[in-house]
Amino acid sequence: MQVRKVMTRAMTRAMALVVAIGAVGIAHAPASAQWSRTYEQFYLPGKFNWTFRNTYATADRLFNAFDYGHAILYERLYTEPNADSSLLEVKEYDFITRKLLVSPPRLPLDEAAIEVAYAKMAPEAMMMFDWAHLLHRQVYDVLASEDMSQAEKDAKIAELVRYYKTRPDLAFSSRPKNMDLMEQQPYSLAFRQGYPKFNGLIWGYHWLQVGLYEPLMTAMDLNGRQAGVLAAVARFRQMLEHAPEHMPRIMPMTPAIAPTFAKRYPEAAIIFDNLHSMHDVVSDILANRKVPKSQKRVEIIRAAERYRDDTSYVMTEKEWMDMAQMMGAQNMGGPAVGILPGWPTPTVARGSTMAEAMKNMQHGGQGTMTNMPRMQHGADSSAKADTAAMEAMPGMSHGADSAAHDMSQASGRLPSPPAAKAVRKSSPKAPVKNAKVTKKPITAKKPTAPSKPKAAPKAPPMDHSKMPGMHNMPGMKP
Amino acid sequence: MRSFLNRSGFTALLGLGLAAPARAQTDYYNTDRGRPVQIEDAYVTERYAFELKLAPVWLERQRGGIYNWGLDPEIAYGISPRTQIEVGLPLVYTDAGVARRSGIAGLELSVMHTLNRETETWPALGIRADLLAPVGGLAPDRAYPTVTGIATRTYRWARFNVNGQYTFGSALPAAPVGGVVTGAGAAEVSRWLLGGAVDKTFPLQAMLVTAEFFGREPIHEGEPVEYSTSGGVRYQLTPTLVLDGGLGRRLNGTAEGWYVTFGSAYAFSLASLFPTGR
Repeated sequence: MQVRKVMTRAMTRAMALVVAIGAVGIAHAPASAQWSRTYEQFYLPGKFNWTFRNTYATADRLFNAFDYGHAILYERLYTEPNADSSLLEVKEYDFITRKLLVSPPRLPLDEAAIEVAYAKMAPEAMMMFDWAHLLHRQVYDVLASEDMSQAEKDAKIAELVRYYKTRPDLAFSSRPKNMDLMEQQPYSLAFRQGYPKFNGLIWGYHWLQVGLYEPLMTAMDLNGRQAGVLAAVARFRQMLEHAPEHMPRIMPMTPAIAPTFAKRYPEAAIIFDNLHSMHDVVSDILANRKVPKSQKRVEIIRAAERYRDDTSYVMTEKEWMDMAQMMGAQNMGGPAVGILPGWPTPTVARGSTMAEAMKNMQHGGQGTMTNMPRMQHGADSSAKADTAAMEAMPGMSHGADSAAHDMSQASGRLPSPPAAKAVRKSSPKAPVKNAKVTKKPITAKKPTAPSKPKAAPKAPPMDHSKMPGMHNMPGMKP
Repeated sequence: MRSFLNRSGFTALLGLGLAAPARAQTDYYNTDRGRPVQIEDAYVTERYAFELKLAPVWLERQRGGIYNWGLDPEIAYGISPRTQIEVGLPLVYTDAGVARRSGIAGLELSVMHTLNRETETWPALGIRADLLAPVGGLAPDRAYPTVTGIATRTYRWARFNVNGQYTFGSALPAAPVGGVVTGAGAAEVSRWLLGGAVDKTFPLQAMLVTAEFFGREPIHEGEPVEYSTSGGVRYQLTPTLVLDGGLGRRLNGTAEGWYVTFGSAYAFSLASLFPTGR
């Protein structure tokens, strides 16, 4: 009986401890407590769900691994801001590329279980990513559904986009955002400059994520789609060799990597480009040490609002398409179908901004634009050059479209992490000269004929007068 | 387990799985009441999602070789943002020598609301209201309402959940020795229950390991505070199916003994309930 009493007393004390733990968690909240009421919502039901998982298991599992890459990136950047860049560039990168991508998780990951601190700091942004990733996956499912006609797929994807938009608190705008939002903020570029390998990996993820839409759409049958998807996956894996040499040099844009998809489903494609763009923005905010930890959330939430609204930093759909074509798939990892054994020749430096890339467009000079799609060099273009009319250049504008550019530090870009300096020094200033073309054949079966890229429609000469943002662009020779 | 379930009313009676938060693709990360431990997290079923638990079973062995087992089919639905409703119908079988009884042990109705998502300054907080209705031969002879407060705090190395619960209604006469189910005494409730759980997530394996410790005061007159501890695993088998299993022990009280649980939950939805113009 005495033993039982002692035991009961001990248990009561243990109970008090449990209560204390809970109380600490609650009482910890300061006056400026951050209260979030964002919530999860189920995916649109339909028999198409999980088709991609069942039909293209290899690619699907890779996407699960991609979830980890994004999550651990944010977690490390946020919780270990002073860590050496090797934490991400070597330790995490090696784990991801040598283990995780070799044997990817069998299920989609709950990123909140990986990016614990980041998820508590910016749950709204995390949920935005989750919601868009859900749309991403469901679009794969629709495009992978062999029992759906093209018309049915069109209708279903339209329905998915409509459903996606029922959450305005989470949905990215389906109006294209210009590159100022991603590259001209005070914190911009910190990640790509400080962590070129990991940044290349993330862009490689995004290349595959949008790129897979192309073989799914252009192949004529299941065999063709299977081969095309495998080839794209194999190409992605090739990008990991000698990293970051063959990784995308600028953010892959859907119209360049998956033009068929972007043309047929522009709203979805724009949403995905905005999604990937905001991934970069969050990385920059977290990586830039000049943004104090206490301001990380403020900046992320501000950026998230801009990516959701339909008014700030917008450009037209045509401008978005044109910009993607101008920047060129060769700078974004190359095409996702009709993949050749060698690598396309990049025309921009790794980590370039769109502005810097434009700077390299020295027409008729060094010949750097010889591969630039839809750009005609020489007399036609120069004859039409009219810098005064270029102010509406998407992604380059610093005027009207940037009205929401209300950053207090907008007067100058914040410095990058220390590691960035070394990286910058080693970054080739003249990428084209340094670019190598390898001849490693891809291991996957080549796509069948239907998945070959269609010959691009002959574009009219680029009218520079319609290239907004080219106003006063240094190095631009009209 | 059965005896414990009897004593903690719908909280414990259906506790093996009635309140079922679910993330459609990552359900393993959402611990549910009784799936596999009693202490759950503050998150509810996703909006528009159903979570169906068809085979949540439990088995307990009390001192004296009394075996009880039950099956608790339940369904939860994310009816509005951060809010779920849930219905359960527990089926119970008790075996204490000649005193064998089986039947429905009440109708479980529940509403749970997540107040907020966890942030750097606030744990996730949830509240739940339950009602155990007198339906079935082994149900209590009157309805018992219960309110529960839930807090969830996550750290990189572990996550903590704290639950506190109170049941309204008059006290019941002392339970029969050995916890043998007899009519109206079948659904004894806890006057209060307080406990905490810690879990460790293995996200790449889609698995969660958890352990809990809690105390409760039976609503029966003269019953001492009882303490229990248990542990278990939740494992995501497919994007829509999660399995769980647990092992626990009541450390004192008239129903001292071991119990095991096993369950599965399937997530789905109905297109007609979605806001896409259909």
